[in-house]
Amino acid sequence: MSYKSKPWLSLLAFSAPALLFYAIFLVYPTIGGFYYSLTDWNGLYKDYKFVGISNYIQALTSDPQFIHSLLYTLKYVVVIVILQNAIALCLALLIESRTKSKTLFRTLIFMPNMVSIYISTLMWAFIFSRVAPKLAEYTLLSFLDQGWVSTPNMAFLSTVIVTVWQGAGYLMIIYIAALQGVPKDLKEAATIDGASTFRRFYHIILPLVMPAITICVFLTLNSSFKIFEVVYALTGGGPGYSTEVIALNVYQEGFARDRQFGYATAKAMILFFMIIIITFVQVTVFKKKEVEA
Amino acid sequence: MKSNRLLTIVVLAILIAVTVFFMFPIVLAVFNSFKTQGEMFKSVLSLPTKIHWENYKHVLTEIHLMNNLYNTTVITVISVVGIISCGSLAGYKISRTPGKLSQLLFFLFFSSMLVPFYAIMFSLIKVAKTFHVQSSVYGLPMIYIGLGVNFAVFLYHGFVKSIPRELEESAHMDGCGQLKTFTHIIFPLLLPITVTIAILNVLWIWNDFMLPLIMLTKYESYTLILAASVFFGQYSTEWSYILSILVLTSLPVVVLYLFFQRFIVQGIAEGAVKG
Repeated sequence: MSYKSKPWLSLLAFSAPALLFYAIFLVYPTIGGFYYSLTDWNGLYKDYKFVGISNYIQALTSDPQFIHSLLYTLKYVVVIVILQNAIALCLALLIESRTKSKTLFRTLIFMPNMVSIYISTLMWAFIFSRVAPKLAEYTLLSFLDQGWVSTPNMAFLSTVIVTVWQGAGYLMIIYIAALQGVPKDLKEAATIDGASTFRRFYHIILPLVMPAITICVFLTLNSSFKIFEVVYALTGGGPGYSTEVIALNVYQEGFARDRQFGYATAKAMILFFMIIIITFVQVTVFKKKEVEA
Repeated sequence: MKSNRLLTIVVLAILIAVTVFFMFPIVLAVFNSFKTQGEMFKSVLSLPTKIHWENYKHVLTEIHLMNNLYNTTVITVISVVGIISCGSLAGYKISRTPGKLSQLLFFLFFSSMLVPFYAIMFSLIKVAKTFHVQSSVYGLPMIYIGLGVNFAVFLYHGFVKSIPRELEESAHMDGCGQLKTFTHIIFPLLLPITVTIAILNVLWIWNDFMLPLIMLTKYESYTLILAASVFFGQYSTEWSYILSILVLTSLPVVVLYLFFQRFIVQGIAEGAVKG
């Protein structure tokens, strides 16, 4: 049986180990997830029955806490996507304008991204609870002395700070790579023609880094919809459930409240559909911009 | 020219301020992990007056952090070795074989990219129980391979295209079997992408919180991050101990980063372009 005659056989043989793990621990649980979201499966009991889409209906019509987490997550996503990308792109532009110190700045600003998001959040919990009050003793910084997680607005701000701090470096790396792809002579030609810095950015650089913006916005949409660790470690969803994001709501539903695995999975599926629809629209719209540019 | 210099100074000032913002939580965590509780209370912002190793000694011996370090290392190493072996085999062959079947396999590996972990986690617990890989340091890597192999297949698939086919053909002429051709000729050539894949996966698995959180139920099998979370939950004010745990947990990845920065940066940039 030579490989010329049966290429599909060796293809399957080489792919088998990967396929096996992938099928058991990802494909099967995904299909299982779809199925369980249509049942009243409860983690405590073995038996469960098919209930159709009633979990979805319940989540969207008679679960105010879930609706709240949905809207709160949307607010969080909008703020994070805009802030994180704006900051990362600005940093990339600033760093690319340097010559010798380029690597040093990139290395240091990217470093928080190497630390686990959960560990990062605990470091910030330390900063908020121990360091900020000390800093506030200097009169100029007195605004730092407040309960960073004790009101809904402050808790929101704290989670945004930690997320941006942890994630901006990653996007910055992608933007720097994109900026390095902008041909030098194009920039020089624009300068000779007398284009101002702003016009040069808007008309030359921005269109050429548009593909990177599409990717980075996609990545931030995808990750910020799934945010869990920062909220779990910093606010626990509180005060009350004001900062409870969808992932935390799903986790609590499954592990802390009534172990309603079927219902919790249905909520996670709603999150999944939202991510699919929103990222699809985003990529389509942004790709059009790329073509025009 | 004058305005140009002013601009340079402004840019530099902004960059320094931003760098301070990005570094100070890490720097303060390291400084304060060497202080006693009392010294930290008095002067949280200053350098430690004397290096106290007591916090580290305490967490390594009293709460058995050594064991958590061992668990995290075992889980990470087995998972990464598994992801690389399975991923390179599949990615290579899918890339080299034309036809509908390989397209289907490629599509199958990528159809799950956007599925949020939360949507599969409850049924994953059930599957893990069935296969007896739940709550064990040696079982968890099986799940990581399942969750992480598709990205490795993807990266290998792209990289293999840059390797000339003549090498395999001549090896085949010499009577070298397919598996041997792969292990002796192809795999060494894949080294650059293998390093990138290894590092990205080490970072992911070492730093992962969610999967250990829902899978590992016994303290003996906890990872470093889970141990940190348990300790934080019980003694949320004992910051000198907590910080030393945080520093210990992060140290290996930060060292890895400083050594392999080029590969990490390249891996992210390439992964993004291809994704």
